[in-house]
Amino acid sequence: MVKHWRPAVAALATIALVGACSSDPEPTEEQAVQPATTSCASSGELTMWERSGGNKQMVDLLVEAWNTKNPDCKVALTYIPHTEMVGKIAQGIASGEVPDLMGMDLIYAPQFEKAQQLVDLTERIKSWPELATASKGHMTVATYEDKLYGVPLYADVSALFYNKDLFTKAGLDPEKPPTSLDELRSYADKITALGGDVKGYYLPGNCAGCNIFTVGPLMWASGAKIEATAEGDEPLTGDGVKQVLQFARDMVKAGNVHEGDRAENGETFHLQFGTGKVGMMGTGNFNITLARQQNPNMKFGIGLLPGVSPNSSASFIGGDLVVVPRGSERVADAVNFMKFLLSDEVQVEVYAKALNLTTRTDMVDNKYFQAEPLVQDVAKALDVGRTPYTLTFFEQINSPQGPWLQMLQKAYYTDESLDTIIADAKKAMKTVASQG
Amino acid sequence: MRRGRRNGWVGLAYLSPALLFVLIFTVYPLVRMAWMSLHNWSLLTPPRWVGFDNYTRAFDDRQFWVSFGFTLKYTLIITPILIIGGYLLALLTAHNSPVRRLTRTVVFTPVVIGLGVSSLLWYWLFSTDFGFVNTVLLDLGVLKEPVVWLGVDADRSNLAIIASVVWKVIGFGMVLFVGAIQAIPSDVNEASLVDGASYRQRVTRIVLPLTLRTVLLVTLLSVIGSLLAFDQFYIMTAGQPQNETATSVFFVYLNSFPYLKLGYGAALSMVLALTILAFTVVQLLLTRRSHT
Repeated sequence: MVKHWRPAVAALATIALVGACSSDPEPTEEQAVQPATTSCASSGELTMWERSGGNKQMVDLLVEAWNTKNPDCKVALTYIPHTEMVGKIAQGIASGEVPDLMGMDLIYAPQFEKAQQLVDLTERIKSWPELATASKGHMTVATYEDKLYGVPLYADVSALFYNKDLFTKAGLDPEKPPTSLDELRSYADKITALGGDVKGYYLPGNCAGCNIFTVGPLMWASGAKIEATAEGDEPLTGDGVKQVLQFARDMVKAGNVHEGDRAENGETFHLQFGTGKVGMMGTGNFNITLARQQNPNMKFGIGLLPGVSPNSSASFIGGDLVVVPRGSERVADAVNFMKFLLSDEVQVEVYAKALNLTTRTDMVDNKYFQAEPLVQDVAKALDVGRTPYTLTFFEQINSPQGPWLQMLQKAYYTDESLDTIIADAKKAMKTVASQG
Repeated sequence: MRRGRRNGWVGLAYLSPALLFVLIFTVYPLVRMAWMSLHNWSLLTPPRWVGFDNYTRAFDDRQFWVSFGFTLKYTLIITPILIIGGYLLALLTAHNSPVRRLTRTVVFTPVVIGLGVSSLLWYWLFSTDFGFVNTVLLDLGVLKEPVVWLGVDADRSNLAIIASVVWKVIGFGMVLFVGAIQAIPSDVNEASLVDGASYRQRVTRIVLPLTLRTVLLVTLLSVIGSLLAFDQFYIMTAGQPQNETATSVFFVYLNSFPYLKLGYGAALSMVLALTILAFTVVQLLLTRRSHT
């Protein structure tokens, strides 16, 4: 009986293997030479994945604009929890269950490009004039060994948001945000002294990504380097690491942050500034619109995230790329969607109109930004911003269980020696980088 | 002879659906996991043979043992609560009456809710600013300011999670205990009453010995379930603070999926599976000894 089963089992196994191998068609040459347009080349729903916890408002608007223009080729958008995005994409690629295109947190792009899990778009997009002014940070990580794998979906830059109403109440000049860590501390003390439920500063105690976005720049501005770029590279170098950790520990001890901040895991990070109970907070450009919606009467300003020395500053240029996973069957349409995103009309009438940063620097001078000084202020962060480049960003930095957050939590909430804390984190990051 | 062989084929035919099920859903995944544990595999790149490196690494991985220690601690705390609590509830509700039936139903209801859903519910109940727990304790004057229950202090987080799991699971043991208690022949109880045994004597000398096998079964299930705890910690603390509430399975998940180290995750799973197997064997041996 077992013998009789063998052919059937073998046949089933063969079918499974053939199925697994054939689910990944590469674009044909005909598709490759099609010039891109801002409209869909074929009909039928385009599937797209995007992480939650990113700039959902912006992505929804972009998809809505595309769907209005292309009613026969609408993008069906699925949000994946941001902490599971990497695993979900990897599983999707391995099983052949991939969307036609996807938004990807730009810091993960190098890992997928190196593993050749994204479609090489060089021949399709390299001649686009829009790329010359596309966000440099995005295009750096969208490029691997001179091949192009994506274009910017949206850009987030971090800056220091401050509540002008609380500044005035605390006797501070509402037109002068702090320009050094010492000033930041002294301003926070004065705002906290107002009492009630008001605190001078905000530290997201349980969110690795929020901290690299807002505390990382404090270290960069103080001359430090954070991540290990590759095996053998030394992470957490420079005095700025310890200086910023000491600054944050002192802020917590002085009572300049809310007790509840300690549990912030990123879910409500974007809603904190708009409560009006925080004097100063490192956050992103996306908070301009959000804070206005939450608290229309609150007056606020935007400065740069400072370092130890006066007038030093830095910013994290983050955001998402649009990429095409290997196995996508609608590469040409995905490329058209990219062309659409970079078009003048979308840059102004979708990105700028929603007061989000344009992903092309030559589109910053537009009627919407001219009418909104806050966006112009936050755009200054682009000049001092940077995007980390490492193949193990998630494990070193962004993981809620990774060494970066562990180091910060110990520094913020314990009395352990900062040298020991930094040494432990350094060792863990080097181990991760060596295994990458 | 021919008839015996034919009977053998018929027997195999009857068994084949079950055998096939076990082969596909138990044996194959186990073999596949063992194979994976001997490779480095990120899903993004092809598997690479590394022999027993993943196992060597697992034994040197401090976080794995921290997670394992925490899982044991969680198991040691929650198991007696579930067993003793479930048994006491069963003693209170074993005899049928409308109020007791209603009590059993109420206590058992959370068992039919998914653990993920109940964890989300309790995550909200324990919320620092909006949670029902803090609101009640503040209103009653027990607390002067809101407590951060989850993700800040490992012991406090553990206790909060244990409270949520006890609410969710205790009804399961209770129902099994009620069944076992109700299965005790009534003449045994009646004889003890005639002999003048007190309630305590009847519970300790008659009910408990006669339901011991069920107690051991529920203990076994509770220990295995607790050693494999994942959902509640993933949802309610995500391992925080500083991975102190990351259970063993959470650590396996973390390595296998977010970190894309499938081979290492498989090796950790093998170590964990063997450990749980050892626990189970010891417990079964104890069960057998107590029975004999």
